[in-house]
Amino acid sequence: MGLLGPCWVKWRCVQKSAPQEMPEKWARAGAPPSWSRKKPSWGTEEERRARANDREYNEKFQYASNCIKTSKYNILTFLPVNLFEQFQEVANTYFLFLLILQLIPQVSSLSWFTTIVPLVLVLAITAVKDATDDYFRHKSDNQVNNRQSQVLIDGSLQQEQWMNVRVGDIIKLENNQFVAADLLLLSSSEPHGLCYIETAELDGETNMKVRQAIPVTSELGDISRLAKFDGEVVCEPPNNKLDKFSGALYWKESKFPLSNQNMLLRGCVLRNTEWCFGLVVFAGPDTKLMQNSGRTKFKRTSIDRLMNTLVLWIFGFLVCMGVILAIGNAIWEHEVGTRFQVYLPWDEAVDSAFFSGFLSFWSYIIILNTVVPISLYVSVEVIRLGHSYFINWDRKMFCMKKQTPAEARTTTLNEELGQVEYVFSDKTGTLTQNVMVFHKCSVRGRSYGDVFDVLGHKAELGERPQPVDFSFNPLADKKFLFWDPTLLEAVKVGDPHTHEFFRLLSLCHTVMSEEKNEGELYYKAQSPDEGALVTAARNFGFVFRSRTPKTITVHEMGTAVTYQLLAILDFNNIRKRMSVIVRNPEGRIRLYCKGADTILLDRLHPSTQELLNTTTDHLNEYAGEGLRTLVLAYKDLDEEYYEEWAQRRLQASLAQDSREDRLASVYEEVESDMMLLGATAIEDRLQQGVPETIALLTLANIKIWVLTGDKQETAVNIGYSCKMLTDDVTEVFVVTGHTVLEVREELRKAREKMMDSPHTVGNGFTCQEKRPSSKLTSVLEAVAGEYALVINGHSLAHALEADMELEFLETACACKAVICCRVTPLQKAQVVELVKKHKKAVTLAIGDGANDVSMIKTAHIGVGISGQEGIQAVLASDYSFSQFKFLQRLLLVHGRWSYLRMCKFLCYFFYKNFAFTMVHFWFGFFCGFSAQTVYDQYFITLYNIVYTSLPVLAMGVFDQDVPEQRSMEYPKLYEPGQLNLLFNKREFFICIAQGIYASVLVFFLPYGVFAEAARDDGAQLADYQSFAVTVATSLVIVVSVQIGLDTGYWTAINHFFIWGSLAVYFAILFAMHSDGLFRMFPNQFRFVGNAQSSLAQPTVWLTIALTTVVCILPVVAFRFLKLSLKPDLSDTVRYSQLVRKKRAQHRCTRRPGRTSSRRSGYAFAHQEGFGELIMSGKNMRLSSLGLAGFATRSGSGWIESLRRKRSDSPGSPPDKPLKGGRPPPPPHPSLRIPAQTGLRRRTKNRRARGWVRPCPARGPWGGSNLCIFLLPPTPTPGAESPCS
Amino acid sequence: MSQKYNPITWRTKMKKTSQICQSKLPDNTALKQQQLPAYRLQLSATGVLSGFFATGAFCLGVGIILILSAKSIKEIEIKYTKICANCAELREDAINFDKECTCSIPFYLSETMQGNVYLYYKLYGFYQNLYRYILSRSNSQLVGTDLKVRLYLIWYNTPFFKDQSHNGTPIAPCGAIANSIFNDTIILSYNLNSSIHMEVPMLRSGITWWTDKYVKFRNPSAINLSSAFTGTAKPPYWSKPVYELDLEDTENNGFLNDDFIVWMRTAAFPTFKKLYRRLNRVQYFIEGLPAGNYSFNITYNFPVTRFKGEKSVVLSTLTWSGGSSLFLGLAYTVTGSSLPGRNYRLSNNC
Repeated sequence: MGLLGPCWVKWRCVQKSAPQEMPEKWARAGAPPSWSRKKPSWGTEEERRARANDREYNEKFQYASNCIKTSKYNILTFLPVNLFEQFQEVANTYFLFLLILQLIPQVSSLSWFTTIVPLVLVLAITAVKDATDDYFRHKSDNQVNNRQSQVLIDGSLQQEQWMNVRVGDIIKLENNQFVAADLLLLSSSEPHGLCYIETAELDGETNMKVRQAIPVTSELGDISRLAKFDGEVVCEPPNNKLDKFSGALYWKESKFPLSNQNMLLRGCVLRNTEWCFGLVVFAGPDTKLMQNSGRTKFKRTSIDRLMNTLVLWIFGFLVCMGVILAIGNAIWEHEVGTRFQVYLPWDEAVDSAFFSGFLSFWSYIIILNTVVPISLYVSVEVIRLGHSYFINWDRKMFCMKKQTPAEARTTTLNEELGQVEYVFSDKTGTLTQNVMVFHKCSVRGRSYGDVFDVLGHKAELGERPQPVDFSFNPLADKKFLFWDPTLLEAVKVGDPHTHEFFRLLSLCHTVMSEEKNEGELYYKAQSPDEGALVTAARNFGFVFRSRTPKTITVHEMGTAVTYQLLAILDFNNIRKRMSVIVRNPEGRIRLYCKGADTILLDRLHPSTQELLNTTTDHLNEYAGEGLRTLVLAYKDLDEEYYEEWAQRRLQASLAQDSREDRLASVYEEVESDMMLLGATAIEDRLQQGVPETIALLTLANIKIWVLTGDKQETAVNIGYSCKMLTDDVTEVFVVTGHTVLEVREELRKAREKMMDSPHTVGNGFTCQEKRPSSKLTSVLEAVAGEYALVINGHSLAHALEADMELEFLETACACKAVICCRVTPLQKAQVVELVKKHKKAVTLAIGDGANDVSMIKTAHIGVGISGQEGIQAVLASDYSFSQFKFLQRLLLVHGRWSYLRMCKFLCYFFYKNFAFTMVHFWFGFFCGFSAQTVYDQYFITLYNIVYTSLPVLAMGVFDQDVPEQRSMEYPKLYEPGQLNLLFNKREFFICIAQGIYASVLVFFLPYGVFAEAARDDGAQLADYQSFAVTVATSLVIVVSVQIGLDTGYWTAINHFFIWGSLAVYFAILFAMHSDGLFRMFPNQFRFVGNAQSSLAQPTVWLTIALTTVVCILPVVAFRFLKLSLKPDLSDTVRYSQLVRKKRAQHRCTRRPGRTSSRRSGYAFAHQEGFGELIMSGKNMRLSSLGLAGFATRSGSGWIESLRRKRSDSPGSPPDKPLKGGRPPPPPHPSLRIPAQTGLRRRTKNRRARGWVRPCPARGPWGGSNLCIFLLPPTPTPGAESPCS
Repeated sequence: MSQKYNPITWRTKMKKTSQICQSKLPDNTALKQQQLPAYRLQLSATGVLSGFFATGAFCLGVGIILILSAKSIKEIEIKYTKICANCAELREDAINFDKECTCSIPFYLSETMQGNVYLYYKLYGFYQNLYRYILSRSNSQLVGTDLKVRLYLIWYNTPFFKDQSHNGTPIAPCGAIANSIFNDTIILSYNLNSSIHMEVPMLRSGITWWTDKYVKFRNPSAINLSSAFTGTAKPPYWSKPVYELDLEDTENNGFLNDDFIVWMRTAAFPTFKKLYRRLNRVQYFIEGLPAGNYSFNITYNFPVTRFKGEKSVVLSTLTWSGGSSLFLGLAYTVTGSSLPGRNYRLSNNC
């Protein structure tokens, strides 16, 4: 039914948009000009027209409806499309070809069923799997398409499903609803047609944004008027630019320009707005969200690709063998066969030895095809499925709180999880919880907020005492928690500074309050930071109660105080501060300012120097902990000065040219010589275990890039708090250029800096170039310090252009950490694509929102954070779980094992099939190259399916080299996967060589014995059937022993399968050779009596035993030698495991504490414009203002200026580099290590931190210096504890 | 629907749904958490070295025993293609198929062949393992159920199924294998002294596999054999029909003829020997073949020179493991002796 449902929907969509000729009458007066209507279908749309409330008209254009389709098939197309896709697999085509060959009687050397049965089986299994996958896609499409929305149809609101919403419809949205399509905002419940949206799904920004309807439509508040609305929108065709929209509304014979400010995009959520009406402009696949989500691509793992290459090679090899044998056949037929014709005349069709050779070529292709058995592909799928289930079943990746287990949504990528080199992470919702918490503060030189446990030690997270009791304050927010009681005591005692501190917090902001019931306060904050600060003030007794454009009412310790709001000096990116000027009831005028430390500390009164020093220390401490800091200051203004200043401000704001600059300088003037009050520290709360996970992944040589739509400061701050950026980082390069040249220059400078550093020894952070291009490596090898790169969205746009992308990549890869901020969803995908394309490395993208979808789809592996509000990311992802920290387990445990198992599986698989098949090749030389098989055809059919499949499957599913705890403790164990060491072309050749070696012995030892020997009853031993049974039996035993040797982890299942396979072999052998079957089908079971006769011969068993010994012992010897001479890390870990069992466990603890860093912790998720909004009173309900005529007073100038500022901001002077006011610190002398001592020093450092241990003990294989790689046993907090 | 009101069903349903709510947490089973108890295979030095040593000792021991027993085998082989060159020449031409040619090969046995003695014929360069050759038979005919080879579904025309000269009468036994049966007669005679030549008593029974004789080959059921085979033709190269292969012993006639069965068990390699007769240990020959002068009297029928093949007769005794050749013993010895060497190297390395 699920399969059927959406296909009907689709059907309907298609029918509704059936092409129709456009009648002339549509061209009417007042209609927009340029009537040349283009076909909109298939991307040729040049312009979009949509008329409100006129479905008939809009249907002319065949715009896409609002139903989205991510599924691939429907019932009718499933079979042909799926088969077509499957036959694009090299292997499947190859088997089809073989099947056709086998149907030619002259060529056929095996029964047809040997190929067709497995082929059909494989195709069917894959088809079933694809069908289920697609079924779930249909289901999720259905779910989205069937969401309800209110559509204005025939003058009344009707509930419609999302998919039935058309371009031109007017729909009504209510608070907290998802926007169903890209809408033109017409009107809203708020004054002036304002409406607030959260765009986290689109761009990851969490602050609220404001949209406004154009004035003419904002009055269309009621349905009757809306129903009559017949404006026509003419706008750009669908595109993926989220921040751009150009178009015009034609209504009542006039034209109104439209911009992005008037648009509500699909994926946004309506906030703080009761309702709004919108006109659908883009629907379904045309929406910016869908346009940004990229195509659904079929992902393949690198092993898949390698396998396809190898299959091609094997095919080449097959052809070579075929040619050799065909030539042999031609010669043989010419020399011997012609004479032998007395006993066996040639086939009628064969007239020459040459032709016979030609035929035998094809015959041999059929016989030898088992080098690539079709069961390979099925087995690989089965193994991957098993691994996926292990991921789904993992309790350590289960989140108790959200009740979400980890989920492997794709079952084809598991082993690639063991090869990841680059992780691209979203910030908001992925690394952070998107919760801002007032964490610490410094008031007049005293720091509050440290948590002390009972013994007076600084308590770590998770062992906190009781939080502070705010019950004295009836207006306190119950959810607010603070642990340092001293601050509250200070407030209660009446410390004036503390009071002033919180007064500032309660006054200096742009938060709106709402009090639905008495005492039930709700704050509408533009940024969560600000909300956190005001909430903190509220709980400490300074409750921001309400505001009007001119006043702010605060409940200070229980008494209501109304301040007169004189001015808001708004925040912007350059000023990085905001101030308010208020007059208190006593009449004193005071300026309160909060802002970035880098800016504010320079504007303080010289008398505060001493306080400044202590506060700076606190700021550094906070910054070191990754907290987001703001400095608070105030200044008293006298009445005359203020009046005079207000005059100047008015003039500046009225100026025609360079108004911005003038205002800025006026602001600048008043915000000087301020008195320092203190600083706040807000925790942008990280998800649990994020720093530890990042540290562990870094140790595993995985590079983590953060790609976020958020602001630069915020992103950098998170970089610090999650330990991506540390104080070890020599320098952080910030690229914020706005032009190609600037960006190029900045990148060049960064590279030069890296090159300049006196180190020449490469370190662990050079990118692993698999395909060295001289230019790239030259830089990378020279880099030694630890650098970080921060790049802005607009710079990234230039950096990603074709001529600069390599430069950018090269620079970025030389850096230890890369943070891209303000990036669009598409840019995220482009960055991933860039690394994917040029680095030949496996990439993983992790994110939680719709803005991460394109990146998730582009990366080799996409991971979605589940349990959040939106599910787009999860739907697009390959794996999903609810906590970032689970990534370490997914990669280091599941990924690593999957890779290991898959590699071992493939090695063994190729080995066993070469050993199996090559025997035919050798036999060719003894049977006149006549394409006679050595084995019974049933053995050939069953060998891969029954006799040898289960043990290797069990190994592929269950094998473990080291216990899971070890792979977390020694992240270096992950490296073989990244370097592709376990299965590559070299390993493949080794497997093949081993297989061929086995085949030689399995054939020639019995040959040598049989040629002369006789049975114990005197009859000849060397009859064909006995030989076949002997070779087959020894082969089965040899490969079984070999799998026993390869299996590193013998569970009961492995035992069962290995012994079971052998038992089944003998059971089937005796059954096939039994009298009963022969009597029923004498022509099919011609080996009657063979098993019991042959296997009763001691010579046969001696031969089998010898073959096994000779095949296996060299392998054992080789492995043992390798283990003792060149052990790899997992061997060492395994060995140390043994040693450790015997000894007391010695654990190294990590160096606790952190050094203070000299950097700014400033970050503020705030945007310009709200100050003006507040002062104008535009966003306040008239009722709440109590000033009826107020709103009309100051026109809509603010929104114009707001819009202008927005559009200006990309062009505004670039943000100072991160280090802004503080000059970048000169490289610390200790960091400037002379080249030759660099490595030694590093090692020394590590040793000092307990990272490098003395070698545990010398293994039986002698001392190797491997222990130096044993990296710190990082505590893995995420591993054991379920997320709280 | 009425079941819904059954309290018991209802309760279990409730239970189930509440379980479903909680069941999002994966089960804590060893299998699902990948914690199955298992033995971790570890190549430890002592294990590997002692394993090597044990295997080496075993191989060496077996190898020596095999070599010794192979040495005890007495074998004599006489290639008679060249010796009977005139017969061979005669057989080159198919026209002479009805001309009998015999050939006597005297030889001297210097040592007694103790115990059971087996007489083989051996062919060089005769390919019984060609793909089309092996297929060229009908087992259903040979068990007597499908004498006219109606069931035999063949992809292409394997020769010798229908007699072309007799309107396509089905051939019994059909196919290339049966047609090319080895048809020399070999008689061993013992020259006790210059005057007494006695034929060495030979058994023709017991030279086939039990399953071949009693399962795989059956004569069609009829009152007598010749009537059973009516409607079929003899294979083209045969001088007499299948039911006249052994007129004296009905158990050895038709498809059940031992020589025929032996031939039909195709050899794996182009050089092979097939058991022809075994010594009947009576009179002089209770101990085996005494030393002395012997001669083979061969009726030369089977042409081999055309495909550059050769024929020989072999007399051989057996040991406990059958006619074990030197190869197996040598291989074991070599393996066994190379292992301690490797052992030494390995232990040196550690």
